[in-house]
Amino acid sequence: MSIGGGELLPSPVGGLSSPDVTGELAGEFAARSPRQLFWRRFRRDRVALASLAFIAFIVFLAVAAPLVVKVLGLPGPNVENPNLTNAFGSPLGPSLAHPFGVDQLGRDVMSRVIYGTRVSLIVGIVGTAIASSIGVVIGVLAGYYRGWVDTLFSRLTDVVLSIPLLMLGLGLGAACEVRGCFKGWVQPGIGSIIFIIALANWTYVARIVRGLVLSLREREFVDASRALGASNSRIMFRELLPNLVAPIIVYSTLLIPLNILFEASLSFLGVGIRPPTASWGQMIAQATPIFNTAWWYMAFPGIALLLTVLAFNLVGDGLQDALNPRTAR
Amino acid sequence: MTRYIIRRLLWGALMLPLVSALTFVLFRILPTGEPARLRAGNKASPTVIAELRVDLGLNRSLIEQFWLYMKGIFLHFNLGFSYYSDASVKSLIFDRLPPTISLVAGAALIWVVSGVAVGIISAVRGRSKLDRASMGTALVLISAPEYWLGLIALYLFAADIGQVKVFPGAGSYTGLTSDPWQWFTSLILPWLVLAATNAAIYARLLRGSLIEVMGEDYIRTARAKGLSERRVILRHGLRSAVNPVLTILGLDIGVLLGGAVLVETVFDIPGIGRLNYDAITHSNFPIVQGTVLAAALFIIVANILVDIAYAYLDPRVRFS
Amino acid sequence: MRPALALLVAACALLLGACGSSSSGSSSVSANGVQTPKTEAQTGGKRGGTLTVLNHEDFENIDPGIAYFETDYQAVYATQRPLFSYRPNTFAEASPDLASGPAEISSNAETITVHIRHGVHFSPPVNREVTSADVAYAIERGANPNVANPYFESYFSSLVGFKSADGGPIAGITTPDRYTIVFHLEKPDAAIVSEALVLPLSAPVPEEYAKKFDSRKPSEYGEYQVATGPYMFKNNSEGKVLGIGYQPGKSATLVRNPNWNPATDFRPAYLDQININIGGDVNVIGRQVLEGSDMVQNDTPAKTIVQLAYEHFRSQLEVSPGAGTRYIAVNNKQGPFSNINLRKAYWAALDRVAMNKGAGGSLVADVQTHFIYPEIPGFEAAGGYPGPKVDYNEHPEGDMAVAEKYMRLAGYPSGKYTGSQTLQVVGSTDHPEDAEIANSTLRTLGFKTKLSIVDQSVMYAKYCGVPAEEIDVCPNVGWVADFGDPQAVLDVPFNGKNIIPSGNNNWGQVNDPTINAAMDKAELIVGTQAREKAWAAIDRELVADAAAVPYAFVKEPLIESKDVAGVGDLWNGGSWDYSFTSLK
Repeated sequence: MSIGGGELLPSPVGGLSSPDVTGELAGEFAARSPRQLFWRRFRRDRVALASLAFIAFIVFLAVAAPLVVKVLGLPGPNVENPNLTNAFGSPLGPSLAHPFGVDQLGRDVMSRVIYGTRVSLIVGIVGTAIASSIGVVIGVLAGYYRGWVDTLFSRLTDVVLSIPLLMLGLGLGAACEVRGCFKGWVQPGIGSIIFIIALANWTYVARIVRGLVLSLREREFVDASRALGASNSRIMFRELLPNLVAPIIVYSTLLIPLNILFEASLSFLGVGIRPPTASWGQMIAQATPIFNTAWWYMAFPGIALLLTVLAFNLVGDGLQDALNPRTAR
Repeated sequence: MTRYIIRRLLWGALMLPLVSALTFVLFRILPTGEPARLRAGNKASPTVIAELRVDLGLNRSLIEQFWLYMKGIFLHFNLGFSYYSDASVKSLIFDRLPPTISLVAGAALIWVVSGVAVGIISAVRGRSKLDRASMGTALVLISAPEYWLGLIALYLFAADIGQVKVFPGAGSYTGLTSDPWQWFTSLILPWLVLAATNAAIYARLLRGSLIEVMGEDYIRTARAKGLSERRVILRHGLRSAVNPVLTILGLDIGVLLGGAVLVETVFDIPGIGRLNYDAITHSNFPIVQGTVLAAALFIIVANILVDIAYAYLDPRVRFS
Repeated sequence: MRPALALLVAACALLLGACGSSSSGSSSVSANGVQTPKTEAQTGGKRGGTLTVLNHEDFENIDPGIAYFETDYQAVYATQRPLFSYRPNTFAEASPDLASGPAEISSNAETITVHIRHGVHFSPPVNREVTSADVAYAIERGANPNVANPYFESYFSSLVGFKSADGGPIAGITTPDRYTIVFHLEKPDAAIVSEALVLPLSAPVPEEYAKKFDSRKPSEYGEYQVATGPYMFKNNSEGKVLGIGYQPGKSATLVRNPNWNPATDFRPAYLDQININIGGDVNVIGRQVLEGSDMVQNDTPAKTIVQLAYEHFRSQLEVSPGAGTRYIAVNNKQGPFSNINLRKAYWAALDRVAMNKGAGGSLVADVQTHFIYPEIPGFEAAGGYPGPKVDYNEHPEGDMAVAEKYMRLAGYPSGKYTGSQTLQVVGSTDHPEDAEIANSTLRTLGFKTKLSIVDQSVMYAKYCGVPAEEIDVCPNVGWVADFGDPQAVLDVPFNGKNIIPSGNNNWGQVNDPTINAAMDKAELIVGTQAREKAWAAIDRELVADAAAVPYAFVKEPLIESKDVAGVGDLWNGGSWDYSFTSLK
């Protein structure tokens, strides 16, 4: 998959970080801050709102999975039932009792799809959050201090980005598969996936933040702060950072679906989430030897992945359009 | 200009040893398969294993091993020998290169043409039903996992197991020289699957970029001069709008040449990505390092080419 | 050279059929119309034609001194003639192959004398007659580090001069004349050493031709090998096979050996040529074979193909019993399973029928109830298919009541494990469903587990085969005997003295002193019936000890096209035997 770097090229920040917008109009109209304008534009985007609702639904499924499964009358995700496979071990298809069919071990697919939301969301959101945090810190430092800090950072990202992301993920995943890495600090399964995502993604966020900081630091309000005697760290974290919040949120949201797909790819290739935990990518992998006869086991997790990633993409798009109205549809 | 090129080439050349050092550290230090044990196989005796360790140089310190490895690569172009596969890493990589190149080149052609075309049309007819429909489809294609699309394509269209038996199924790839028709037909589905996701990204990218460019002053001037809309778009607008697309294209091809693992796995194409994946799951370290280096080489070269092209188009870059 | 001792013709050691009860057991294939190697006719085939073989897997190694896997044996036993080999329908009695008669074992069981046939020649470009010196060199090169035969140490370590063997002459192997070879042993285990002569290491290798290849690291003799069997790998005039008769990962071609004399061989060799295609999608290969002509697949077909064949092409399906076992190795040395009651609880709780469903159901596996498997002498005496009558063995589908009984005996009154240890479970990608069922059974018993599924070779070489890794449960291990003797089934996996720090095949680190002593004693017994009895008793001891948790007596399915009269080798997982198969 392409990392879609194009989506993440810094667009003009457009009207967001200029603190001088509200002054003139203060007396005549109820002025809106840039942040309020941003949310207002976002709220007008129907498609993005619908996607946000869908994401809320997915989150609900993840949190309330045991309850949902019970209410629907399905067995748990790891309950094996040899009676639901035929004499040769082939699983039975969708039926009233099992709307999405069963897998080779007789486990209910719908139940596993529901529980699969947990893995995707945790990996997508937590992994991205960690990657973003690291990226922001490094990006701010590199953009603010410039000089050798910046050069070091740029060279480092160059080297890391020279290794194809999936290869890096594969290698690390395989290495950490059984015992974990770094003396158990990184546990196999979800832990190692989050570790890999953080390792791979921080560079993107860092690059963007660095670009933004480079342009922001030239503005008058930074000079003003400095003239008032503010320390470097105060400037970075009190003045610059608040102006970066919106772009950071937008780009992070765009990273989430990529990371969900990344985890699914790693699980598909067998180095991701450990069995028997249900992960959509892993389910597709397990379905691969039999998908020509047991289509349901391949189709439903794939559709779940598609819808979830699509929803995040739409929300991300909506946020980006709200941020940069000039490029809006 | 020359100075810029030289600077880029030097940095690129320096990156290769850095990348191989990084790979070495990652894969040797992290727990991976003990090469001697794996070579000796399941039922071999300890004496055999001990002898192999000496042969493979594993009884020396890590620094020594790394130095020997680097010497081997950069002085003798010797990427090592894989005892598990009984072949030199170099020969394995060269063997697997043509399928990957076939796959990537064909897919790239399809996705660039279709992505650019759809992007232009959508940008021109902004906010129309056509625009919404194509952008919607694009977004769906980006959101679907590649391998899943591949499996669905096989399920629907594969000659051996599909519902509508049109294209050859997985594992039917043959070299261009041995059977051109089979080579071509066996690659159609993989091309389409690989191109689908990327075409979508390029379409969206180009559309956004073109819309932005179309709002620029010089476009207004061109229109005011009386040029046809078509000329305005293709001659003036596209020229600058295509910059980000070129950047991404170079990088994407570089990355994919390192191995489109997912598509190669689903369609059973014996390319480099597959080689890397098999090597990783078999803990076959010499091949892993060899394929990672090869992939890094492609990416570094692609980066250099893209940077040079950028510098050519935008003189400001040369002095940064 | 030692003076000739009074030789005891130990006919029974090898020609078991002639000595009374052979343990053939009943054919376990219950489905009608499915062939087994015992029902296929070995003679009366049509001469000529080319067989096309579609194999998914490549050879591991075609050098007869290194080859050690089922697919390798398919080619090696068609092109090489070891001293002894098995006919297709038996794994219990070996027939003299290059040897002219049975091995002669001295009364103190420390000397083995074998006479070889006259008139057996090497294939081009060597051409000359085979002598006993060629057999000696073949075995000696096993100790050459460039060859590194994987079983040399297991079976030939009692040869005089073994310790200093490195590819040169071994003091314990002498050739008093051109057609006689004598093995001198340091301990009286001639019974097992003579049985090991059925392995391809004893196939003759011409030293003057092979020496230069064996001096390379690794040896290249396999790429230039000559043959003594009815077929040979296609080669050029210099003898080069690689690139001509064998393209790794792609194809192999076997053609008739012009110097093979049918009068000296029991093989009919109907086919003129065998073309082997390697690789491809398992579903595609299976369909091609079933729907095409003049083809076979010579490795395990995909599960869906087996089902397809059984339902629509039944006469083209062969299922071979006695293809080995699959069982769960549990760590007897440390961790919870060092407690015998917990092992019995696990055995009782496991649903063995469900485990076998994962592999394809009762067509391809019978429920395993003890450790010597069908077709191996001693199987019936050790309990046959039903197995020893102990309560944890009685219910193949698992019995939680019995399991709980043993949990309580182990000190867990609630019937569930309440300890603090988390079990490390490592399975293989070949049978992930079995690993998952094994894992979920552990969880039902109350254990906390961490399951990892890795590539099979990595599972063995890095985790389950390394005692220091302290893996608790290895659900995907299995065993195939090297030859048809119960010692070859039980000794390596269950004898404490065979635990080694890496490449360990006693995966459960089973180390019971009584059982060890019984095995060491039984190793030296000469005479089939006595051996059967002794080893069957050991098998029952292992069951009483619950040394491992069994689940599958493996049966291997193979498919052929409708116009192929395939003959499978019972002793090689039912693999189609190129020297006996013919076209209809």
